[in-house]
Amino acid sequence: MNLQVVYCNHLTTDLALRERLAFSPQQLPDAYAALRAAFPRSEWVVLSTCNRVEVYRAQVDPEPSPSHQDVARFFADFHRVPLTEFFDDLLERTGPDVVRHLFQVASSLDSMVLGEPQIMAQVKDAYSLAQAHAASGPLTNELFQRAFNVAKRVRNETALAEGRVSIASVAVGDVGRRIFERFDDKTVLIIGAGEMATETLRYLKDDGASDILVCNRTLSRAVTLAGEWGGKVRPFDQLDRWLAEADVIVSTTGADPCLVSVERFRAVRSQSGKKPLLILDLGVPRDFAPAAGDLDDNVFLYSIDDLEATCDTNRKLRSKEVDKALVIIEQETEKFMAGLYHRATGPIVKRLREQWRLVVDQETARLFSRLPHLEQADRSEIERSIEQMVNKLLHPPLEALRDEAREGTPHGLMDALRRLFRLND
Amino acid sequence: MAHVSVFCFLASYIVAFGLELSRLLGRSRISRLVMVGFGLAGFVAHTWYLFNRNQQTHLPPLLSSTHDWMLVLAWVLVLFYLFLTLFQTFSKQELAVGVFALPVVLLLVASTYFLSQEPITDLAAEKARHGWGMFHASLLVFGMTAGAAGLVSGVMYLVQHRRLKTRHAEPTGLKMPSLARLAQTNRWSMIVTYFLLTLGFASGAYLGLQPADGESKVGLSDPAVMISIVVWLLFGGLFARLVSSRTPSGRQVAWLTIGGCGFLLVTLLGLQVVTGSIHGAAAGSAAPRVSTPAESAGVRS
Repeated sequence: MNLQVVYCNHLTTDLALRERLAFSPQQLPDAYAALRAAFPRSEWVVLSTCNRVEVYRAQVDPEPSPSHQDVARFFADFHRVPLTEFFDDLLERTGPDVVRHLFQVASSLDSMVLGEPQIMAQVKDAYSLAQAHAASGPLTNELFQRAFNVAKRVRNETALAEGRVSIASVAVGDVGRRIFERFDDKTVLIIGAGEMATETLRYLKDDGASDILVCNRTLSRAVTLAGEWGGKVRPFDQLDRWLAEADVIVSTTGADPCLVSVERFRAVRSQSGKKPLLILDLGVPRDFAPAAGDLDDNVFLYSIDDLEATCDTNRKLRSKEVDKALVIIEQETEKFMAGLYHRATGPIVKRLREQWRLVVDQETARLFSRLPHLEQADRSEIERSIEQMVNKLLHPPLEALRDEAREGTPHGLMDALRRLFRLND
Repeated sequence: MAHVSVFCFLASYIVAFGLELSRLLGRSRISRLVMVGFGLAGFVAHTWYLFNRNQQTHLPPLLSSTHDWMLVLAWVLVLFYLFLTLFQTFSKQELAVGVFALPVVLLLVASTYFLSQEPITDLAAEKARHGWGMFHASLLVFGMTAGAAGLVSGVMYLVQHRRLKTRHAEPTGLKMPSLARLAQTNRWSMIVTYFLLTLGFASGAYLGLQPADGESKVGLSDPAVMISIVVWLLFGGLFARLVSSRTPSGRQVAWLTIGGCGFLLVTLLGLQVVTGSIHGAAAGSAAPRVSTPAESAGVRS
């Protein structure tokens, strides 16, 4: 059995190179076809996300198998990137390290955002694609199925995935959902049309927000954002009116001086009444005067720094769980490898037992034909004695094989058994 | 099980509360399961104790003694707490309801050490036959339960509001419902409490007007009745304020709920501890003798 992964990720390689080595969904069929053609004895799974490009290989036969250089050359040929430009960044792991690495990846220990949940779906998709292109096989099947179970175990037994760690998710999930029970009856006002506005809007839409107003100085950008998220564009020069109408305000302009002063906001509140209002001021510098949040009990004003503090707290909480997760992964790796090694010895043990069984059957038949006067009870007793004798004789070599298999596939001992007992004959 | 005492379930609830508090330091599924286990164990013992009391007094706990009445109130609260906790455990929400609800339960159960275990009066026995006594006592218990729920949700609202206003991250073990949900609970608990107490006091007044033995009749001169009427009027004042405010803020509603429900609970609880009975003046006068467990097991002559 031999396992290998050749990979680069956000820890080892910069984004520019990862982009050149990544496999788009459109490229994957060709990639799998090329891999199968070049190395037909191997099973393959390619995992390509924005943070990593990893090629997993498994093979039942120990030799011959593609080397690190062979897989790197495949990358070079497929993407037409000179090997010298990336070979040093392309890492290789083999044997138990592959299992450990995959378990860590699937459990999101290797992710840029520790504990993020998307990686599990990405690994599942990668494996499904490999299956669809007939590139995976029984070994990769077992490896990946186990990886999914391990990731689930890590998620259930540790707090690695708890607490949100991005500004937008904290803003909506940790703050918004603690003020409002639902968003589908709320009016959301987006001021500005930048990346942060888009990301926050994504979370709000996921939570059911449907009445979305977009206000931006540049009308064309407001139209684009509103079109993308099913919102309505509102003129920027009537901002006060929309501020009074909104239940949630996401402001991302970073205007200097600040867009909404305390006096301006006081006038807005007198117009809107004292309804609960969440202001997510994600602009740098801030769009709302900090004192605006103290005007009344129902205004909840959060700046990017407030949200970042929560992200940091959650990140620290997650980091504390890493050691627990690593212990689980270590246990699971050992268990998986032991099972794998043990199974490698299965065929030889079976053949050995069959051969001895054959000898026992032949010899007892011969004996009973010479002693026809034996009663059935005597025959059974003789058969039982011979059975026990065979088991006792086979026990030491099989025990030695089992012990060897705990450390790895016992190729030497298996070879010795084959030769000693002529199992290949 | 025959020897189940108040201390048995009080201790279980204390352990469950301790485990709720320990979850503020770090969450663990095992500690939650143990916590729920202690809560359930306490609840079973609590139920069994009330059943035993019923066997001893031959009266439903609501009509038997102040001690039993208070335990029924605590029992209903524990039932709510366990329902919410189990529901959240299965739905993986794990809100820290127990941190706020269990102290109220502990207070109610502990207060029963100071309350009389003697059956209230023959009033109970006589009026229970007609169902009015049971109706009166049930309305008061459910009204008080709604009040206790309002007190708990009001405190939760203020804690959550303060956390959100000061922009602190939510502690892992102190997850609470949204302000919108808590504000809604506060408002409804005020309405339900007032409605049930009004009906409860009205049915009490009807009972008071019914002809009965002179000694056991509960009248307006009973200090417990007088104080209850004052409490009801004050609570009504707060309720009117809540209803008349056009757009009260959630925080105002929370303070009103805490003020109203807290005052209601503390006064009625204090009243019972001081007088030793729900109907202080009538206590003890014509009370039937409490039978021993052995007697209860036998046939009544």
